[in-house]
Amino acid sequence: MSVSSVGKSAMHSDVSPSRSGLQSIFYPRTVAVVGANATPGTVPYDIFHNLLISGYRGTLYPVAPGKASICAVKAYRYVLDIPDKIDLAVIVFPAEVVDRAMEQCAKQGVKAAIVISAGFREAGPEGQQREQRIKAICAEHGIALIGPNCLGVINTDPAVRLNASFARKMPDAGRIGFLSQSGALCTAVLDYARDKGIGFSKFVSFGNKAGVSEIDLIEYLHDDPATDVILLYLEEITDGRRLVETARRVTRGPKAKPILAIKAGRTAEGAGAAASHTGSLAGEDAVCDDVFRDAGIVRVASIEELFNTAIMYAYQPMPPGDRLAIVTNAGGPGVMATDAAVRCGLSIARFEPQTTQKLKAALPATANIKNPVDVIGDARADRYAAALDAVLADPNVDQVLVILTPQSMTDIDAIARCVCDVSRRASKAIACSFMGAADVASGVHILQAAHIPHYILPEWACRAMADVQRIRRWREYQLHEPHRPQVDRHAAEALVAACPNGYMREDQALALLKTYGLPVPEYRLCTDAEQAVDFAAQIGYPVVLRAAGRNIVHKSEIGGVALNLRDAHQVREAFADMTRRLAAAPAAALEGVLVRAMIPAGTELILGARHDPSFGPVVMFGLGGIYVELFRDVAFALAPLDAHTAAALVRRVRAVRLLEGARGLPPADIAAVEDSLVRLSWLAADFPRISELDVNPLIAGPAKTGNAVADVRIRLGR
Amino acid sequence: MDRAEVEARVKKVVSRVLGVDEDMITPDSHFVFDLGAESAQSVQLVAAFEGEFNIEMDNDAALKVKTVGAAVDFISRYL
Repeated sequence: MSVSSVGKSAMHSDVSPSRSGLQSIFYPRTVAVVGANATPGTVPYDIFHNLLISGYRGTLYPVAPGKASICAVKAYRYVLDIPDKIDLAVIVFPAEVVDRAMEQCAKQGVKAAIVISAGFREAGPEGQQREQRIKAICAEHGIALIGPNCLGVINTDPAVRLNASFARKMPDAGRIGFLSQSGALCTAVLDYARDKGIGFSKFVSFGNKAGVSEIDLIEYLHDDPATDVILLYLEEITDGRRLVETARRVTRGPKAKPILAIKAGRTAEGAGAAASHTGSLAGEDAVCDDVFRDAGIVRVASIEELFNTAIMYAYQPMPPGDRLAIVTNAGGPGVMATDAAVRCGLSIARFEPQTTQKLKAALPATANIKNPVDVIGDARADRYAAALDAVLADPNVDQVLVILTPQSMTDIDAIARCVCDVSRRASKAIACSFMGAADVASGVHILQAAHIPHYILPEWACRAMADVQRIRRWREYQLHEPHRPQVDRHAAEALVAACPNGYMREDQALALLKTYGLPVPEYRLCTDAEQAVDFAAQIGYPVVLRAAGRNIVHKSEIGGVALNLRDAHQVREAFADMTRRLAAAPAAALEGVLVRAMIPAGTELILGARHDPSFGPVVMFGLGGIYVELFRDVAFALAPLDAHTAAALVRRVRAVRLLEGARGLPPADIAAVEDSLVRLSWLAADFPRISELDVNPLIAGPAKTGNAVADVRIRLGR
Repeated sequence: MDRAEVEARVKKVVSRVLGVDEDMITPDSHFVFDLGAESAQSVQLVAAFEGEFNIEMDNDAALKVKTVGAAVDFISRYL
């Protein structure tokens, strides 16, 4: 089953652009700037001017009513007046007339449009209508639409040199494709990248994504021979399933390209005041973290980390393993880097005897010839070269971090050039951290010009190298298709169909779990004390009584739970007490009392599911009972789950150690927990009406006693 | 003042402020889409109409007027 076939978001784009439409955005033979003007410093002028001065290889037409020319180029009153076929229209008119401009573009046969103007969906109901209108025109005429409300598009390919944006400067050509939902961020990113000597293949601000979405652009960049790595800044996920499916395809296989993403912003819906634990824990951000990981998207926290990792990947060979060698001229930073490397999940390489001998021969007696190699503060380029040659030749080293602190005798530029020379000869990844700012600046420029990734702090270098290892491990990780376990779907359908929206009564919820094979202990809904006593005698004491009714959600708070009842007398008494107490709470209409055996003590887990607004059905696993919200030790995954992902999900939470038998506890039946997760995930995937589901707790007992659902809460409907 | 006269004078003002030929201007002409008015020019237009007709208009409402014909109607209300 493909991920997109389950729980499709209702908000997905219905204007999927054609491949040729996207090609017209990036490689137009003709461009019309619709709504240009002659006032420098305004968006309509700057866009036209940028296109003109970027050296665009095609033909450019300004559409500027009332003007004879813009920047000495003959202007047209309407796009329809242009005596040429137009591939791309860049619309810069105010929002209120963009629909009229788009209608003319459609008549003209324009293949693609970038709507720069703001004043659409982001600006309230009127803007939303405007956006729908232009979206409809584009859909009807097959126009690939970028925007509205965006900075524009840049393609540095010398074959086209397109700067259809109001960024201040055209960036250098490079191997990084950048996609951003925020236009303003783009200008900051371009400035940042220029300072670091980072170039781009394609640069797209996609704004409100009324037509072309980030997913379409990721697919395009996957096929783009000029792009090696895809960077994404995203605020809003509208079709999470398709994003995941696309990312899995793009980040793996023979043409694999990594996707590094910043996902900012939380939706009110995601963090909403849900009544269930899964609901309150499953803020979009927490779900997004885990789902991105399962999609192969490296989620980073900042622009700095985004580029730190991107240049490490784009500029250096992919290390086959995580073993790091550090060469430094200062002990302290070497130790800090070692700590950071281990913290990030890298390992510190153990050198072969030959390597230590080479280092011993080349370095002074006071040098540290073990990893991290300290070439000592007075080291010049020759010492760095000898140390680097030795460690790079070591088969136990996958990558090298060069640290430099600017001491009075340190020839920074010479050492930078030496690193560049060594790097040219080496087939292993090298990163540098020349610590400081002013003194090391020219050395850093030498490194940047030679595409040696440089980081102000060694910790950042380690983080970037560790991210690249995540990318490598993801490519090697085997994905598995989820397979539906044996379940009684018809019985489940009948149960769900019989229940109105809202919380299911506990016995109905338990019956539903049972149809999907979850470990539900024997129970019965009893309407009088004698029924309860009979059933208790059948299943054996001690037993539990639980008040049951559709509106009874928080049972213990209203005295709706009686535990550890050891005989018929206690059952009768508890039944009478419970009936009396609930009669006094008229909002909680008692429909019966559920009787089941007392479950032996074990580790309390939570297994949950919910319908996520971005990703559809997701499952949650974590430490349950009273700890769930205290420690928030939970992990999420898309439903349905395959067995391997279920196993990985269980191992993502720290509480797994309790299940494995920590501190003399008997190990629990983890395989059974994984099986329950798989079954629960199918239940959530098969029934979109289930908006929230908590099995909290599932009591995981020692392997021989098995697991049992101790409490369940299921809400139907949105 | 009859409507034809208001329209003729409106056209003259529009032509002068936006720098477009008078024969491009029709009652249906949209200030932005057909005549290329920029946002700063919209404010200048309102001021120029007030000067031309010696009236004082509600600025917020005036800036919502989109076409030459609608401007003629709007100004006529003040005459």
